[in-house]
Amino acid sequence: MLLEVRAVTKRFSGLIAVSNVSFVVAAGEVVGIIGPNGSGKTTLLNVIARLAPASAGAVLWKGENIGGLRPDQVATRGLVKTFQNPQVFAELSVLDNVFIATHLALKRQLGVRRVAELCGGGRAAEAALRDEVEEVLTLCDLTAATHQLAGNLSYGEEKMLGIAMGLMCRPELLLLDEPGSGLGREELTNLATVLVKVHAAGTTLCIVDHKIGFLRGIAGRVIALDHGEKIAEGPPDQVLDDPKVVEAYLGTTRARA
Amino acid sequence: MKLGITLFVLLAALPLAVRSDFVLTIFIFTFIYGILAVTFDLIFGFTGQLSMFHPAVFGVSAYSTHLLVVHAGLPFWLATLPSAAGAVLLAVVVGSICFKFRLKTFYFAVVTLAFAEMIRLIVLNWNSVTNGTLGLVVSGRPTFWWPGAGWVAVRGPVAWYYVTLVALAVTVLVCVRVLHSWMGRCFAAIRLNEDLARTLGVDVFRYKLLSFAVGSALASFAGGLYGYYTGYIDPGYLGINQSMEILAMVLLGGQGTLAGPIVGSLILTGLPHVIDLRGELRAMLYGAILIFAILVMPRGIVGSLVAWRARRAA
Repeated sequence: MLLEVRAVTKRFSGLIAVSNVSFVVAAGEVVGIIGPNGSGKTTLLNVIARLAPASAGAVLWKGENIGGLRPDQVATRGLVKTFQNPQVFAELSVLDNVFIATHLALKRQLGVRRVAELCGGGRAAEAALRDEVEEVLTLCDLTAATHQLAGNLSYGEEKMLGIAMGLMCRPELLLLDEPGSGLGREELTNLATVLVKVHAAGTTLCIVDHKIGFLRGIAGRVIALDHGEKIAEGPPDQVLDDPKVVEAYLGTTRARA
Repeated sequence: MKLGITLFVLLAALPLAVRSDFVLTIFIFTFIYGILAVTFDLIFGFTGQLSMFHPAVFGVSAYSTHLLVVHAGLPFWLATLPSAAGAVLLAVVVGSICFKFRLKTFYFAVVTLAFAEMIRLIVLNWNSVTNGTLGLVVSGRPTFWWPGAGWVAVRGPVAWYYVTLVALAVTVLVCVRVLHSWMGRCFAAIRLNEDLARTLGVDVFRYKLLSFAVGSALASFAGGLYGYYTGYIDPGYLGINQSMEILAMVLLGGQGTLAGPIVGSLILTGLPHVIDLRGELRAMLYGAILIFAILVMPRGIVGSLVAWRARRAA
């Protein structure tokens, strides 16, 4: 099992954001996490990626409890998260943004031999990475914007850049926090195409979103959260038809109608 | 890079055209302060950590280089190496504490300032070693090997001009290599968005410490050179006004650039000599320039020029 979330609870001084949630993600899956606003989706991802400590429960990565690790150590192990509000290095070009994300690839490839780069060496590794950066930029449809400042990108492009940077870390499991929020219809279709390609290339995905139609198209399994609790889990169609899920999204009256 | 080499060649040729000791002296101070300002900018402008610890590194290295020459009998150049190691040790201790507690911006500045003051007070009161407020007179000179002449001492403005120019060039070269490597990319990532850097696998603590240590190691050479050039070391080297001067140089010249701190150093070293000013008036001038730079040119002289060229090219 790639990722195992065991009875995770997250409290913010009295407010329970995530309550006793458990699930697993196996290698090669695409898992969707849905839920209305404030249902604890983002908090759950933050706990998994160690951006916030869990109040109770455990997160296991390939059987190892990663509860005591720093976010960068989690990323080093192949568990990488993107942000809901796009986070980029605004003052740098798109190319430089993605190049910063080659940090882990270079570290895995060269280790301490990176020191050679200081004396003008390490060019071969850097050239190989450059090819990979261009590949990722093409995949994410950012080629035209390569030399633009990241701060000047449109919202949709910034989100794609976030994903491009995540991919450059060569993750085994990519956690995507609402990649579709704020995107237009065309951008959403592009995003789905990119994610399908990424999955086909062997990356496991865990996608948080509340665009149900978007997830139905790509997720093999969906987990529904409401008020921090898991209320349903299973194939997308089954979960989306679950009365509890319908109620959480639309309210009781509409659900009965 | 081309511009850098051209400038170096021009500066190297300067003493052939300009014989004035007065001008050369200004340049010597510019080069030594340039080392301090460039290395401070590595920590502040490139990594985003406003350190007030630089004068402590500068001062302690001035003392340790001199004391190693006097008491351990090391030649000057050899003595700079353990001094640099000492500077790294200081940086690692202070940096570890600050970065472990995730001190940022003001908090980092204030705590590093407190550490610098602590070290200044130790230096001030450790009479048996440092001679307290009276300071130490440095009578020795660095030597170097010259073909045909053997070992010669660095004497006179022209020799000092070249020694300090080469020291600055080496410092800049090391900074260029560091900044163009994966380290530089991590520094930029930390400066621009620490949380994002973390999720991309950058060990923020380690790279902040690395920037602090590399900057301090290089700055230690400035301390050694300054003590030997002026022939005198006192606890004033470690004072807070030094921090303000370095900061003013970097802000005026352009933070986050390598040429900026050197330009700032030239202006702020040169001005008080060109316009003869008393100590208090000089401090006021620094203050006025600092305010002016922040209000009118937040990117500094070099930063504004770079931005202007980029706008024209676009």
